[in-house]
Amino acid sequence: MRFSNPILIKEMRSRMRGMRAFLVLTGYVTLLSIIVGLIYLVLSKNAPATLVNQAGIVLTPVLIYVQMGLICLIAPTFSASAVSFEREQQTFDLLIVSLAKPTTILFGKVGAALSYLLLTLFGSVPLISLTYSMGGVSMGDIAIAYLIMIVQGVTYCSFSFLWSTLIKRSVVSQLVSILTVIVLVAAMPALALFFTALSASFTGGPSSTFINVTFLLLRTNPFAAVASLIPGFPMPNNVWLRSVPIWLSQVVFYLLLMISSLYLSLRRLRNARNWV
Amino acid sequence: MIKIENVTKTFGDFTAVDAVNLEIGKGEVFGFIGPNGAGKTTTIKMLATLSLPTEGTLSVGGFDIVRQPREVRRIIGYMPDSFGVYEDLLVWEYLDYFAALYQVEPSRRKGIINDVLELTDLTIKYNAQVMSLSRGMKQRLCLAKTLLHDPDVLLLDEPASGLDPHARIEIRELIRELCRMGKTILVSSHILTELADFCSSIGIIERGKMLAAGRIDEITAALSGNVVIEITVKGDPLAAIQVLEEREDITRATSDGRVVHAEFTGATDDVDQVLEYLINRGVRLTAFTPASADLEDIFLKITRGAVA
Ligand SMILES: Nc1ncnc2c1ncn2[C@@H]1O[C@H](COP(=O)(O)OP(=O)(O)O)[C@@H](O)[C@H]1O
Ligand SMILES: [Mg+2]
Repeated sequence: MRFSNPILIKEMRSRMRGMRAFLVLTGYVTLLSIIVGLIYLVLSKNAPATLVNQAGIVLTPVLIYVQMGLICLIAPTFSASAVSFEREQQTFDLLIVSLAKPTTILFGKVGAALSYLLLTLFGSVPLISLTYSMGGVSMGDIAIAYLIMIVQGVTYCSFSFLWSTLIKRSVVSQLVSILTVIVLVAAMPALALFFTALSASFTGGPSSTFINVTFLLLRTNPFAAVASLIPGFPMPNNVWLRSVPIWLSQVVFYLLLMISSLYLSLRRLRNARNWV
Repeated sequence: MIKIENVTKTFGDFTAVDAVNLEIGKGEVFGFIGPNGAGKTTTIKMLATLSLPTEGTLSVGGFDIVRQPREVRRIIGYMPDSFGVYEDLLVWEYLDYFAALYQVEPSRRKGIINDVLELTDLTIKYNAQVMSLSRGMKQRLCLAKTLLHDPDVLLLDEPASGLDPHARIEIRELIRELCRMGKTILVSSHILTELADFCSSIGIIERGKMLAAGRIDEITAALSGNVVIEITVKGDPLAAIQVLEEREDITRATSDGRVVHAEFTGATDDVDQVLEYLINRGVRLTAFTPASADLEDIFLKITRGAVA
């Protein structure tokens, strides 16, 4: 099979047309630079000299976190209207009657969203090299952080695509996709906190089961995964799966989420003739 | 080429297409006529492999639309009644996209795109933004896209709807051209006269029921019972009438100046016997035309019962 996906090519043609892609990328990198610059200013005024000399230890995680926040906001929008918008614009029927296979549609649409996402992610590489040069973090940790971010973006693109095949109106599929992200990244820590508080109120101190559950929930969270890379991250001695790094289980969890989303999308696309 | 057997399609309690049967032969141009909401689009969408029948079977080119949708898609060109185009692409990019989706070899794409653009008279728009095209041009662009993979069967759902008179004529000319190219065409309309002059057969649908379908002359014959032949004679029309009335299958013959109208009760295919007979009997004539009843008369006759 030749590697050329007409849908991917078409999406790139219309996405990259004109100034839009360029402006998004420029805006993204500018925003990141401003945030990092401000934090550096505050730091150099107030912090002790030893910390300023190792500014990277603060700036790099901040930069990663800001990027992860942006991924939560923009990754879903890249694919959340992939199919719903075509249905709204009445172009979807023509796509279905063509010889496009469901896999072609899936990989074309998700692939286009991904290349856009990767473009923005790699736009931040110069900034990261800057904060890295300030010391305090290892290259390995940065690589893991990027892996977490890429998997995070791919996963969000994937389930947003699923929503776009399930929901007819593109505004609604966009909204539901963002909501899913919020539930996924905010509800889990909230639940974890809730469990901890609950157990504390019963026994005067959190029981080991609750601590275990809390740490399991943390294992689904990319922000926690990055935090666990920072030295000094608290990890109780006898917690479940202690030997498995948090970031690894989080990445695996997201990959499973991604694969099931893609699989369900494919089934949905195969069944397009039964859509109403 | 197209075969619809006992097809019913329901949406909940509502029956949009009700036990429809239809057969369209190769090279025929079939006019699918019926008022809005009659079930034309629902039927065409099933043929286009976009929805499944509740009951019955449909096939195109011998391929079943339920079990062999890919084979069907390969040989059909479908133009929906309302459709969108990718506004942010250029005209050639739009066609290139669909050519690729239809697996046209990359080396042949450019040539084919030029061909369909020429056929639809859009050559000068090659590098234009789709956004900048007029409604009629978008319609022709969609038709151009429909032809990229050289389909044998065209399913055109109200191709002229929403167009100004000039654009309508252009679309009609195009369909005529495609008909000359030997394609089997199913074209729907809620306006009868739009199809009258280039269809070889028609089907009239109303409230999901196919009221009549077949060759135009057959429907005419079935309805009026007989064919009226217009004969322009060179000599005395009265002599011609006498000769004609000797035949048992001519029920009535009247003259109107040099033109004789004869009502023929035989089969439509047998009118040539009358011509041969007249010549053998020494009647000199300059014109001999079996007149089919006006399509509109047929339509009124057929739908009168159903609408009332
Ligand atoms: N998806 C659908 N759900 C419910 N009713 C539908 C649907 N599609 C069509 N109909 C109904 O079926 C009938 C036939 O529609 P259609 O085939 O579009 O008619 P036509 O194309 O002849 O104007 C209409 O009454 C329409 O409201
Ligand atoms: Mg219609």
